[in-house]
Amino acid sequence: MKLYEKSAFELTQMLKEKKCSSLEIVEDVSKRILEVEDKVGAFVTLNIDNAKEQAKTIDEKISKNQAVSLLAGIPIGVKDNISTKGINTTCSSKMLENYIPPFNATVVNKLNESEAIIIGKMNMDEFAMGSSTETSFMHLTKNPHDLERVPGGSSGGSAACIASGEAIISLGSDTGGSIRQPAALCGVVGLKPTYGSVSRYGLIAFASSLDQIGPFGKSVKDVALLQTVINGYDKMDATSKNIVYPNLLEGLNENIKGLKIGIPKEYFGEGIEEEVKTSVMNAIKLLEANGAIVKEISLPTTPFAINTYYVIASAEASSNLARFDGVKYGYRAKEYDNLVDMYEKTRSEGFGDEVKRRIMLGTFVLSSGFYDAYYKKAKIVQRKITEEFVEAFKDVDVIASPTVPSTAFKIGENFGDPLKMYYSDVCTVTANIAGIPSISVPCGKDSKGLPIGLQFFGDKFKEQTILNVSYAYEKLSGGFDCMSKII
Amino acid sequence: MKVDIKHIAKLSRLKIEDDKLLKFEKDMEAIVNMVEKLPDVEGELKLDTENPMTLREDVAVQNKFSRDELLKNAPEVQAGCLVVPKTVE
Repeated sequence: MKLYEKSAFELTQMLKEKKCSSLEIVEDVSKRILEVEDKVGAFVTLNIDNAKEQAKTIDEKISKNQAVSLLAGIPIGVKDNISTKGINTTCSSKMLENYIPPFNATVVNKLNESEAIIIGKMNMDEFAMGSSTETSFMHLTKNPHDLERVPGGSSGGSAACIASGEAIISLGSDTGGSIRQPAALCGVVGLKPTYGSVSRYGLIAFASSLDQIGPFGKSVKDVALLQTVINGYDKMDATSKNIVYPNLLEGLNENIKGLKIGIPKEYFGEGIEEEVKTSVMNAIKLLEANGAIVKEISLPTTPFAINTYYVIASAEASSNLARFDGVKYGYRAKEYDNLVDMYEKTRSEGFGDEVKRRIMLGTFVLSSGFYDAYYKKAKIVQRKITEEFVEAFKDVDVIASPTVPSTAFKIGENFGDPLKMYYSDVCTVTANIAGIPSISVPCGKDSKGLPIGLQFFGDKFKEQTILNVSYAYEKLSGGFDCMSKII
Repeated sequence: MKVDIKHIAKLSRLKIEDDKLLKFEKDMEAIVNMVEKLPDVEGELKLDTENPMTLREDVAVQNKFSRDELLKNAPEVQAGCLVVPKTVE
């Protein structure tokens, strides 16, 4: 087995036992990148030279038997909307093509403290707006399990690099499903943490009340490990929750005897592919056969979640993206007549069509005469969806559903049809609306060999509960086989 | 519902090219038709009292960044200032 195929957890053990060096890991991953990146296109920026230097420093520490931190020597990919000091952070947009942050996001400081090694910045839908990574200004990212298909999005690069072996773990961000949906389509594990548990300082904002940074990995252990590194209170984020965060890796427990799993009927209805439904139900039956108690529940406002999401997310986006005006940073149009003309040309040339659509939708729902009918109403529905989850969690410990209605679609298949694309997030947006944690784990493949995702929702700050049920499923199903077999 | 794209674009400080106007109009109409299907819910917009945001203290912020460092990303700089088109005649 090659080093790049191993999990972060395995590699940290091997480093401790001096069975390999960090430089060997970084070199193996770099070699893999050289071999397959042409086909996959997961990266926007590579950071290999710096990574090798960092690896040497860590190897020296290990050789001198000095203590190292949790992720010492492990190559990680970071989504390109997370600020990295001195390394381009583009949001996969022409607007920020040449932007180099003067500071690190809090999560990047935490990665540095944990001695993880940033191997590169990962491709994404422009400003995280999309579900296929096709709106990236940079290039397409392909699904490592079928190069004619999308990896999902918006964190498409962060998911693809795990399945292709171009990074060991990665960070993405999830506003409506942008971690879990690509995790499902690429057959890897992805966690959207509780709103407020991971600092958003330095995450370039899309919809601030919904955005959350989270981990990708090949196993539940890896995701628990990375989440333990990145979570925690941060005074730089006004929505950060000041509580004690447990060590999720140490807390992993596969015992599911008596665990109550809720099955919301609204997530298994029309529009969900039969093969997806069957795989998800088989996974739930396996958990039931091993001691979990399965119960049908109802979350009746679910059919309105996608509408609510697009109103709230676009409203916030229209405000957040107003800062891109060609003055302080980013792209500026070459020719203009006056200040307003400069703003308009800069923004029209710098943003892609999907970003423009969302800004305009947000502007529309907030505009005079429409605010009450759209934005205000959506905020009330948001409260209702949240209350339904609160009620449900009085009765069950976790809620299970498919992550995505289908498996990976073909490149171009949904591009240009916004509604079809938006529907891909129909099972994931509710977690963002309610601010609760949610994870996607692989639960088999369809007849075309494409991965299917199983999603668990948990109550606020109950990451441990959904990680534990995922861990139990991983063990019962014989482990996840995330790696691409075709590249 | 039909959306006046030209008007909304103006409010958004965007310009939509004429050849793309029709596609944007069609897409926006479809999206608005989707999002307007919200249920008639009773209730007022309430603040989330369970998770109040904490305002930062009103104290001077330590200046972590040098002016030069921040200006490196600006499209046009002169004598340590951002350059913008003339706004006052």
